[in-house]
Amino acid sequence: MAQEREPVIQVKNLYKIYRVGHNKVRALNGVDLEIYRGEFCSIVGTSGSGKSTMLNMLAGLEKPTKGEVIISGEHLERMNENQLVKFRREHVGFIFQSFNLLGTMNAKENVALPLTFRGVPKKVRLDKADKMLDLVGLRRHKTHRPNEMSGGQQQRVGVARALVVDPEIIFADEPTGNLDSNTSAEVMELMKKIVREQNQTLVMVTHDNHLAGFADRIFHIIDGKIVKIEDNWKNREVAEG
Amino acid sequence: MEEMEEAQGGEEERSMSVKDLLKMSLSSLWRRKLRTILTVLGVVIGTASIVVMISLGLGLNKASMEQIEQYGGLTTITVYSNEGGYGYYGGGMAVSVDGSSDSESQEPVRIDDAAIEQFKHMEHVEVASPVLSTWVLLRQGVWENSASIRGMSREALEKMDLDIAEGSLPEEGGELQFFYGNTVITDFYNSKTGQNPFYENYDYENQDNYTLADVDLMNSPMFVIFDTDAYYNSQYGGTDENGAPIPAPKKYMVPACGLMAGKPTEWGENANSILCDVEALKAQLKKVFKGKAIPGQPTSKSGKPYKEIYYNQAYIRVDDMNYVTEVQDQIRALGFQAESNVEWMNQVQEQSRSIQMALGGIGAVSLFVAAIGIANTMMMSIYERTKEIGIMKVLGCDMRAIRNMFLAEAGFIGLIGGTVGLMLSYGISAIINFVTKATYASGISYIPVVLVLLAMIFAVFMGMLAGLFPALRAMRLSALAAIRNE
Repeated sequence: MAQEREPVIQVKNLYKIYRVGHNKVRALNGVDLEIYRGEFCSIVGTSGSGKSTMLNMLAGLEKPTKGEVIISGEHLERMNENQLVKFRREHVGFIFQSFNLLGTMNAKENVALPLTFRGVPKKVRLDKADKMLDLVGLRRHKTHRPNEMSGGQQQRVGVARALVVDPEIIFADEPTGNLDSNTSAEVMELMKKIVREQNQTLVMVTHDNHLAGFADRIFHIIDGKIVKIEDNWKNREVAEG
Repeated sequence: MEEMEEAQGGEEERSMSVKDLLKMSLSSLWRRKLRTILTVLGVVIGTASIVVMISLGLGLNKASMEQIEQYGGLTTITVYSNEGGYGYYGGGMAVSVDGSSDSESQEPVRIDDAAIEQFKHMEHVEVASPVLSTWVLLRQGVWENSASIRGMSREALEKMDLDIAEGSLPEEGGELQFFYGNTVITDFYNSKTGQNPFYENYDYENQDNYTLADVDLMNSPMFVIFDTDAYYNSQYGGTDENGAPIPAPKKYMVPACGLMAGKPTEWGENANSILCDVEALKAQLKKVFKGKAIPGQPTSKSGKPYKEIYYNQAYIRVDDMNYVTEVQDQIRALGFQAESNVEWMNQVQEQSRSIQMALGGIGAVSLFVAAIGIANTMMMSIYERTKEIGIMKVLGCDMRAIRNMFLAEAGFIGLIGGTVGLMLSYGISAIINFVTKATYASGISYIPVVLVLLAMIFAVFMGMLAGLFPALRAMRLSALAAIRNE
């Protein structure tokens, strides 16, 4: 248990202020949070609440205006772009709302792509991609292009691609936003299962309270501030206990 | 297995492999075939025009250099005596008189055996030979030829690398023997009609179709009249100072020792010379003009001939063309006049350099247009692939790898365009050479290997340069903005 309580993401007093014309918009207005290794967290809020900004900040895609983002002991706010790319390559997997698969590559090649950027030899990376696609249940679609697959299948490829590099943390931005509710539930269960099996940390952003409920902990964010943290973990322990 | 361990162990530091990078570049070019082909076509035309233009400049230069080679090569120096204001004798070639304009009061500097010895001992001088030439009349039957014979040392004759078709070089000393150049036979004319069969029937369309005088240089006896003045005077009824008619001078039979190789139409160094041993010629002249002034020889101020026979010229060959000017200056310092083809060559090269620059410039314009085409194609490609670039960046593709991928793409366009352009250049060059075959036998368009390599490197480099700005732009794309780009 002690091992699980080790914080892998720490956010301290984080601000992000956009300038829109003459107005300042506080997308994040002093956020503090800690996420532990092996946790499945969701950040939930309405559109414009700052949840996507939060995720971009955690992934090093945007620079904070003020505050600290510490992931695996490294300060993201101090890194330059090259270092951030390297950081993402080594620690992070991504799952997008619009899947963001490359249309010119088939499923297997898409999954193997992040390994290409790590200089993994072709045979090795295709083998790994193959196993990953088995894991997400796409045994029969390995050589299909994205436009030959359904949304759910495409997102499974997206999940496989995020997991193939064996990342410490997986960020998911509305991963089921483009899927119907049945498929959404399937994908959610899949993500949860795999993350649990591999003891990885998953941070998901969504506007859907129901989907957020799949997570161990739920951060509610309104107007750039965390207003409530639900802890399903404890609830579950209580329920199971 | 080892490979796998290495891949995993080294993951922290490893970035995209060069092979994968090039493969991705090629595949994205392949994806947009038509556009790639059109862009490549621009480079093809650019490369071909620059290469063909430069090849024309080089071909012209080569043709002039070959011409210089025919006129005695680049390592020979011709030395003339300096008559110090009296003008010089013999020869007949134009001589640059720099350094001798103040020679009015100067004693004449003439070429004798001592001077030849001096030349021989200069550094870098390979051969130094006296040249004694005199005009004679050759006769065989009705055929006559007024020709200049050229006496040189045996050593020089040997070192001139003459191509011998028949016989051998003249013997040193002893009896006078002639070694005929390959075009000498074209100068014989019929003494009765005054017609030269070679020039009367000259075929400008086909040089190999020629008619020659019926003269056998090697096997039939050749009669030589040395005292040509007396001969013409006797022919046309001239009289001496006492009014008595001048008797016909004595004819001498001179055997041939050899013939130079080559067609009668082939120009080359010494092709039109009649060569002989200088000592034999000297002895012969002394015998013929006993007690008289030898024509062409200098006389003292009182008009008396000198006892010694002076040479008209000296033939000097230097071991390397880079030392020609140096040796030439040394000889001039001794008071002689010295001439070589180096000045001519420098002039020719300067000229062809400027021609090359002008022609290359014209070609460069089209290559420049091609470069703009590449830049445009790459920009388009980046706009289209913004999202793809964003995804790659988010998935951890190195910024440098992204830049290199686009640079490689532009480089490939240059490489393919350059290769095809060079092939096209060879084709155009062959056509130009075929069309101009009549005027330039060895070809007016010349593509050396160096030009091929340079053109290749230049095309690739230019492609990458044109792709640099787009590539940097791709590298700096914001990953976040890029993935939001729908």
